[in-house]
Formats: sequence, C-alpha cells, structure tokens
Amino acid sequence: MFIDEKKCIGCAKCIPYCPLQAHYFTRTEDGRLVVAIDQEKCAECGVCFRMADCYYNAIYQVEQEYPRDIRALLSDPLIEFAGSNVPGRGTAEIKTNEITGRVKWGRAGLALEMGRPGIGVKWSDVDKMTTSLAKKGVEFVDENPVTFFMKDKKTGELPDELKEVRSISAIIEFDCDFDELPVILETIKETAKELDTVFSFPAGVKLLPGGKVPEEFVRIVEDAGFTLSINSKNNMGLGRPRFREEGE
Amino acid sequence: MTHSLHRQGSRESLQRDFIMLSCSAKGYNNTYYSEPAKKMMKIILDNNPVNWGDMKTGNFLYIDPQEVLDKISNNTIVEACFDNKENVLNALRDLIKADLGISVVISGLDDVVDEIAREAGLPGVHTREWSLGVHGNTKKLPDRKILEFTTMCGHGMVSRDLVPKLIADIKKGRRTVREASVEMGKCCSCGNFNITRSCELIEEYLPLWVIDDPA
Repeated sequence: MFIDEKKCIGCAKCIPYCPLQAHYFTRTEDGRLVVAIDQEKCAECGVCFRMADCYYNAIYQVEQEYPRDIRALLSDPLIEFAGSNVPGRGTAEIKTNEITGRVKWGRAGLALEMGRPGIGVKWSDVDKMTTSLAKKGVEFVDENPVTFFMKDKKTGELPDELKEVRSISAIIEFDCDFDELPVILETIKETAKELDTVFSFPAGVKLLPGGKVPEEFVRIVEDAGFTLSINSKNNMGLGRPRFREEGE
Repeated sequence: MTHSLHRQGSRESLQRDFIMLSCSAKGYNNTYYSEPAKKMMKIILDNNPVNWGDMKTGNFLYIDPQEVLDKISNNTIVEACFDNKENVLNALRDLIKADLGISVVISGLDDVVDEIAREAGLPGVHTREWSLGVHGNTKKLPDRKILEFTTMCGHGMVSRDLVPKLIADIKKGRRTVREASVEMGKCCSCGNFNITRSCELIEEYLPLWVIDDPA
C-alpha cells in the first residue's frame, strides 16, 4: 500500500485505520507535510485503501511479487488462498467437520494464530514455532498457507525470504491424538517465551454423543496450565453427507 | 480460521454476542454450495441479524446488500452476527426445517449454544472449538477495553487506534455512538462485528475515556 505524496494533503484521516500503525507523517522535498506508509510494517491488508475514504484518492495498491505478495494473502481476508479454496488465512477446519471428519473422537484440532489479536507477525516468529513443533513430530495440515510455504514439512522450516515477511496473522494448523497433547502444549508454552509477538490459541474436538465434552481433553488442557474460554465456535452437525466413525 | 472465536469480554456482554456462519466443504459441496448458501442467508435475514456479509465480497454496511447476496459463490464463507439468543434459535430452527445440507456453525457462550441446540431439537453440538487464550509477548497488547472492540473482528481489521479516535469523535459531537460502531463494523469485512454490543461497550466506557484535545 502506498500514498501518493502529490495528492496527499496530510489530513491524517487514514492514520487510525491502520491495524499495524504503519502510517506516519513525513515531509516532501518541498516541505509539505504528508502521510506515508512504512513498507516494512505494512501488511497489505487493504483496510486504509477500502475504509479510510481518502477524499483525494491518494492511497493506492500496486500488484506485488513474491515474497511481498504473501503479506496480502495472509492479511486481506477478501483474498483466497488457492491451495485451500477458503477465503481468509486458514482452512475449513472444524467448520465442516461433520462432513469431512477431519477431527475424530480422541483427537484435537489445534491452531496457533500468530500475531493475533492486532499485533501482526514477522514470519521469523512463525518459523520459531513451526520448527519447535516439528521437532516433537507434529504433522502440519495440508492446504494451509503456512504449511504450503514450508521448505520441508518434517522440519517446519520456512524459506529465508519469508522470514522477513510481516502479516496481520499467520495460522499454524495441526491435529493430534489426546495422548500427544501434553508434550505439544509444553512445547508451545516454552516457544512462546521466545516470541516477539502474541498468538491466539484455538483447540477443537468432536464432542461425544449427546454433545458431551470429552473429560480427558479438558483434564489434559487444564493440567498443562491452559484455560478453556467460556465462549466457543460450534459446528451444529447439519451438513451432508455425514461422516460417520465407529460408534456413531 | 477461528475468526469468530477469541472474542473478549465479560460473560454479561458476551451473552448478547453470536455469530452464525457456513463454509463450503471442499470435495463435497463446493460445486453447488452457492445456492444453499444464498437460501441460508435469506433465512438469516428474516431473523434480524445486526450485521452480515460474505467473506469474498464484504459486509452490508459498506456494500449494497443485494450485491452481497448475488455474489455468494461456491467457495466462500457466509456470516452473520446476532445480538440475542431468540433470533439465533429461530434462525437455526428455520435452517433445520429448510434442510439445506450445508454446515452451520454458531459461536457464542458454550452453555447458551448448548441450550440453543437442545431447544432447536438437535442431539447436541457436533464439534466445538475453544480459545485457549492469548500467549507470547502479551506486553504488546492494548488495554482490555480496546480488545473488547477489536476482537469482534477476528481478522484484525479493526485497528486499536480507531477505537479511541471514534470515541473522541463522539465526545466532540462529530459522530453518534451507532455511527462510530458502524464505522468499526465496516472495517470488519466479513460481517462479524457486533454493532449492538459495540454501542453498549461505548456507552459503558464513554465516562471513563478522557480525551486531551477536546477542541
């Protein structure tokens, strides 16, 4: 995202719209006060372009090449990642679980949304988390953009050129058996200490018949020092064809 | 993923905060999803959502509502926000009756969503996802009051700087509480931002917010 300094009058209307505080005042060569965008901080999310309603149309987008184009892919929710065919930054995960059967009984669907809420993430931090998890044998979900860009899914390592990328967030997705959870949760807690950014941590399970929450999952999560939120995202089970496993 | 999860606030406030959404299932219904998804959105609109949109097009606060409906495609996520349980329950009952065959997701307080499932005649929730919190360098996070607004957009499109700016606008008589909430809602392109809850939060926090440039 750029601001045309010839058009900008420095009104500053766009400044508070930027989720990553990338807009700043500067002076042109002839001394006029204008707003510019810090290209290192800008995640190409498009909010200022769409919402700040610049009276002089000074804000403009240019087509970006790899690796800069990854910023928009992981920041602008209107853009779809071709690998998943899902708009946004991740996969369908539990949203279609009654059809796809992705998360089965006794397993947890986990994700780490790096940079959320509202801080943004430099992908060197994403790399720290993916490589730590890979050492514990985590298998990352295919069709997810972060997995797609890994040099090697077994090591979780990202290409060097992507470690300089910044985005509003980046989602690391993986599933595991309940008995693998303690080690994974401990790894997440330890790696969190090394990060410059924050991450939000969702965890999903298929409920038992009658909508019963698996007690084993709750016990493991709480023993590891995490707390389940009072609010949740719930697949109501209306989709077809219904995936059925033994006992269903 | 998870963009309707991780909303922060008190239980009292979150009691009036629900998201209903549907996502196409790749390899199963993504060759014909647009038609049932359009029907789903029409059912939702009959049940008074406070915000709604399509993830590829945007929300009705800044895009013509008919255009949002017309552009619902086979690979998308349609979403709506409700401010009370009754409307969500009625929408779910209508969706069960319509038998569209597409996935329906409801985000809200666990126990309230369980009640909704039971009262709609479902055997229970199929799959549930919780937030296990925010971790890492949490010193970088803004004040809790700001997060209650900004986390209503899971994609992080509502800037932490926009909240105090709009509250200052209200204090200066430049916007109403609702206009400020709609302005934040426009940034959240999917339609997840709860306009009613935002108005309630602003009313609650207005007396606590000091602005140093009242001119």
